[in-house]
Amino acid sequence: MTNHWIDLRNSDVILIMGSNAAENHPISFKWVTEAQEKGATLISVDPRFTRTSSKADIYAALRSGSDIAFIGGMINYILKNDLYHKDYVRLYTNGSFLVNEDFKMPGELGGIFSGYDSDKRKYDKSAWAFQKDEEEVVLKDPSMTDPHCVLQLLNKHYSRYDLETVSSITGTPREMLEKVYKTYGSTGNPDKVATIMYAMGWTQHTVGTQNIRAMAIVQLLLGNIGRAGGGVNALRGESNVQGSTDHCLLFHILPGYLKTPKASQPTLQAYNDKYTPKTSEPRSANWWANYPKYSVSLLKAHYGANATPANDFGYSWLPKLDDGQNASWLMIFDEMLNEGKFKGLFAWGQNPTCSGSNAGKVRKALAKLEWMVNVNLFGNETGSFWKGPGINSADIKTEVFFLPCAASVEKEGSITNSGRWAQWRYKAVEPAGQAMPDSEIVNALYNRVKKLYDKNGGTVPDPVVKLAWDYRSKDADGKVTEMDIHLVAKEINGYFLEDREVKGKLFKKGTLVPSFAFLQTDGSTSSGNWLYCNSYTEKGNMMARRSQKDPTGTGLYPEWSWCWPVNRRIIYNRASVDEYGRPWDPKRPVIKWNGSKWVGDVPDGGWPPLMNLDGTPNPASKRAFIMKPAGVAHIFGPGRADGPFPEHYEPLECPIQENPLSPSHRINPTAKLFYTKEKEGEEDVFYSCDLRYPYVATTYRVTEHWQTGVLTRHLPWQLEMMPELFLEMSKELGAEKGIVNGDKVKVSSARGEVVAKAVVTSRFRPFKVMGSTVHQVGLPWCFGWQYPEDGSGGDSANLLTPTIGDANTMIPETKAFMVNVEKI
Amino acid sequence: MGKGVLVDLTKCIGCRGCQIACKEWNERSVKKTAMLGTYTNPPALNSECYTHIRFYEHEQDGPPVWSFVKYQCLHCEHPACAASCPVKALAKTRNGPVTYDYDRCIGCRYCMVACPFHVPKYEWESTRPWVQKCTFCSERIKDDMVPACIKTCPTGTMVYGERKEMLAEGQRRIADAPGKYVNHIYGEKEAGGTSWMYISAVPLEKTGFNMHIASMPLPDLTWAYIAKIPAVAGIVIAGGALSWVITRRNNQGKGE
Repeated sequence: MTNHWIDLRNSDVILIMGSNAAENHPISFKWVTEAQEKGATLISVDPRFTRTSSKADIYAALRSGSDIAFIGGMINYILKNDLYHKDYVRLYTNGSFLVNEDFKMPGELGGIFSGYDSDKRKYDKSAWAFQKDEEEVVLKDPSMTDPHCVLQLLNKHYSRYDLETVSSITGTPREMLEKVYKTYGSTGNPDKVATIMYAMGWTQHTVGTQNIRAMAIVQLLLGNIGRAGGGVNALRGESNVQGSTDHCLLFHILPGYLKTPKASQPTLQAYNDKYTPKTSEPRSANWWANYPKYSVSLLKAHYGANATPANDFGYSWLPKLDDGQNASWLMIFDEMLNEGKFKGLFAWGQNPTCSGSNAGKVRKALAKLEWMVNVNLFGNETGSFWKGPGINSADIKTEVFFLPCAASVEKEGSITNSGRWAQWRYKAVEPAGQAMPDSEIVNALYNRVKKLYDKNGGTVPDPVVKLAWDYRSKDADGKVTEMDIHLVAKEINGYFLEDREVKGKLFKKGTLVPSFAFLQTDGSTSSGNWLYCNSYTEKGNMMARRSQKDPTGTGLYPEWSWCWPVNRRIIYNRASVDEYGRPWDPKRPVIKWNGSKWVGDVPDGGWPPLMNLDGTPNPASKRAFIMKPAGVAHIFGPGRADGPFPEHYEPLECPIQENPLSPSHRINPTAKLFYTKEKEGEEDVFYSCDLRYPYVATTYRVTEHWQTGVLTRHLPWQLEMMPELFLEMSKELGAEKGIVNGDKVKVSSARGEVVAKAVVTSRFRPFKVMGSTVHQVGLPWCFGWQYPEDGSGGDSANLLTPTIGDANTMIPETKAFMVNVEKI
Repeated sequence: MGKGVLVDLTKCIGCRGCQIACKEWNERSVKKTAMLGTYTNPPALNSECYTHIRFYEHEQDGPPVWSFVKYQCLHCEHPACAASCPVKALAKTRNGPVTYDYDRCIGCRYCMVACPFHVPKYEWESTRPWVQKCTFCSERIKDDMVPACIKTCPTGTMVYGERKEMLAEGQRRIADAPGKYVNHIYGEKEAGGTSWMYISAVPLEKTGFNMHIASMPLPDLTWAYIAKIPAVAGIVIAGGALSWVITRRNNQGKGE
C-alpha cells in the first residue's frame, strides 16, 4: 500500500477491483464502512457479486481477464471529459516528457509497441526512449500539447478504448461503465480523493503488472497519489506478505529491493554501476543514487568482519543468477519436472500441491525429488503428496521430512502489514510439542551445514562459512540461551562498525544506525535491509511502540509500531501539495510547508517546495517522486517488459477467437509460453476458445478459510461454515445444464478436474462479449484432498489453472481460464 | 433498565466472525454440514450453534441483493419461554439476558414451543439433554464486558448499550438517512419488545423476519386467559357448592 489501512476512511470514492476485501480482508471494512458513513461512494467491480459488492453503492460486473480494457476505458473517459488534475500531472508525472518521434503504439502496429522481436517474444526498450538534449536532459512540453508528449500519446493510445469497444470486451453494460467512470473521475477535482483496493484478482494474470500500472495511471491523472484517502493499495494475501517481500522472498531481489546480482556482474563495482541510476534532471533527488551505500551495508551485515574493501565486501560470495535466468515459481516446478534440476526442496510455510497454479504438474514434479523437507504447522497435501489421489506410493522415491514449526503467537518477532507497518509481537504461548520457531530451525540448519563445511570442506564453502552468524544471547553465567530475535531485528536495522562522524554527529562503534541517510559505502556501517534502517535504534525497538496519539487527526498514528521508510505513513506525500507546499485539499493535509519546514507526516525528503512564495522557483527543491531518476511518476513506463502503456490482451485461455483490440496479438506478446510447438508438455496444455471448455472460470478465497486451508481445514468451526468445494454459476447456466443447488458437478479444464457442489446464484450473470453470451463460473481454492480426513472437502481448484505467468513478474494466471461443467 | 443491541444490517459484511466468536466463548462443538447452495451454514440454529449468519439473496432490477442477517435469541423483554417454563429454568434478568438454569430444567421443552422465534434448541442426541440458546453472554455482561459476538465484529454492525438508548439510536439512524432504511425497528414492539433489535435497508420480510408476531408481550396473551381463571373457578366452585346444597336439601327432603 502507498497508504495504510486506517487511511481508507479518508476517501471520497473507494474502488475495490481485483479484490474481495469484505471476504478476504474483513477488518479493512472497519475503515471502508467509516468512509461510507461520511458519505464516500464504494464501487465494486468483480465478475461475481460478492460480499464486498453487497456493500457497494455501485456494482459493475466484468469478465475475468478484461481489467485493462475496463481501466483503459476509464483513462479514455477521464481525458476526453477533461477530468484530470492538470497541475498535478504537469508537476509530478512524466506527462510533459517528449517520446522519440518514431515510437509507435499498438493502434498503429496491430497490437504491439515499437521494438518488438517476435522470435524472442521480447521488446527492445530503446525504441521507447525519451527525446533528450545534448546534456541528456529529457525534452518536455509543459503545455502537454505536443503530439509526442506522454499525455498526448496516452490520449491517442486509449482513444481506442471507447465505451462501445470496452463494453464488448468486458461484458459490462455501457451505462455501468459510464457510471463508474464518472464517479471515479470526479475525484480529479483537488478537493476530492479516491483510492483503489486491489489484490490477487489483479496480479494473477498474464497482464498482472499492467493491470496495476493502468490504475496507477488513473490515480496520477486524478492527482490521487500521495494524498490522504488516495494512493494505490495492494491488499496483501497474508499478514506478513509485505514483510517477506521487503526481506527478499522473491528470486530477483535482495533485502530492500536491491537487485539479485547476475553472473555478468563479477565485481561489486560492476554490480553497483549497473543498478545505480544516473540522472541529468536538475531537480531530481534520484534517491537510488545511494544504491552502493545500501549494497555495501547489506554485505557488511551478511559477512561482518569477513567483508573488507579488499575482497569487495564479500560480493563474490553472493549467489548470482545466470544472465536471462528466470528462477520464479513456475520455472522451479517446470525444471524440477522436466529437467531434473532439483534434488531437494524445502517447502517452508507453503502448500504448493494446492496453492500452485496447475497443481497437478506440481504434484508430478515433487516425485522427481530425492528429498523434501516440509516445514509447517500441520501436515499438508505437499508433505503427503506421495499418498495423494492417483499416486502409487510404491513408485515414489522422494524421502519426506516434516519439521513442525511454531505459530505466529508462539514466537516473538515482527510482521509487516500491507500498510508497511512493522509491528512487533510478543510470544503468547510456548510452541506445541516439538515445534520450533522458524528462526530456530534456520539457525540449527545453518550451524549443522557450517559444521559439515568446517569438517569436510567443500567446493565453495565461503558463502556459508564466512557469514556473520551469531544470534544467541548469553545468560549471566555465559551460557548460550535460545536465539535472540532482537539481534536479528537489530542486524536488519544496522550498526556503526567503527566510530564515525556523519552529518556533524559522532556515532560510536556498535551503536545502531538512526536511519538509512547515515549508511556508508566504505564498510563502516551495516544494514540487513536499508528500508528498515530506523526500525530499531538506540531509542529502542520502534516496531514495539504502541502510542495511540494521532496529532494530525488523519489517522497516521505515527507512534504506533513503525513504518518503512523512516516511519513515513503515506509515501509520495510531497505530491499531496501544490508547488508552494500547500495541500491540494486543506481538509485532509498529509504534509504542509510552514515556511521553513514540512509539518505532518514524515515528508518524502525534506527539500523545500518547488516554488518560493514570491513565485520564483526554489533551486534547493527536489521533485516529489524521489525514487524515480527524473523525480516524476511514470505515466509512460519504459521499464516494463510488455510496453510503456498497458494494453489489453486476452488471458492464455479465453472465450473469444481474437483480441478485439488487436487481432494479431491475442495474448500478452511477451509472456513466457510453456506449451509451444517445440515443447508440447501435456501438463502445460491449454485450450482457448474451444467448445470442450466453454466457460470462463476464476478462483478465489472465502472468509472462512485461509489460503489452501492448512490452518483452517483442521478447525471444525470453519469447516462447519464452509465444508466443501463449491462451484458458483449463474441461474441461466444452471438452467441450461439442468443443474440445481447442491448438485454434484465435475469441473474440468485442459489440465485436470475437480468435483464440486453447485451453487446456482443470481450473483453470477452471463456476459455479452463481442455479441455472444459468455458464462462465467468460479470456485474457491482453499480445499485439498487430505483434510477433512473423510475426503469430503474436495480437492484444490488449482488442479484446473494454467502454467503461464505475468510477463514481468511470472505470477501465475490463476484468475482467468476456461473450464467445462458437467452434472454427475 | 436492561442492556440491548441494535443490529444495523446495512453494515454486516457476512464475515461470520461473530459466529466463530460465539462458538469459542461458549465452547460449542459442530454438526456435520454440506454445501447446499447457500452460504448459510449450519442451515439453522441448533444446540451447538447459538448464532449464525443467514444469507438471503434476491433478484431485482440491476445487481442482486445479498443480505446477511445475524440470528440468535432476541432476548424478549417479556419472554414467552420463561412464562411457559413450569420450573423457572428460564428467566429474564435485570441486565437484559434471558438466562437458562441447567439445574432447574426438567426437559419438558415447553419453551421451544412457546418461543415465537423458534430459538431454543434441544440436545436430542445427548443422553442427558439440555435446552440450548444464546446466553447474551450474561456472564460477560455481569463483568462489564461486551458480548463475544459484538466484540469481534469488524464493522460495528452491532451497537451495545442500554436498550432504551439503542432504540433511540435506531430511531436516530432511520431519521438521519431518509430512504436508507425501512422505517421499522424490528424488536421495538415485536413480542412486546426484545433486547436485540434490527434495522435494515432491505424489507425485513425478505430476510426471514417473522412480521406476524404480535406487538404485545406474549405472556400477556396467556395471562389474559389465565387472569379469568379466578372468575371461572369462582363460578365452578359456587355452582358446585350450590349444587351440593341443593342436592343435600333434596336428599334431606327425601329422607323426611
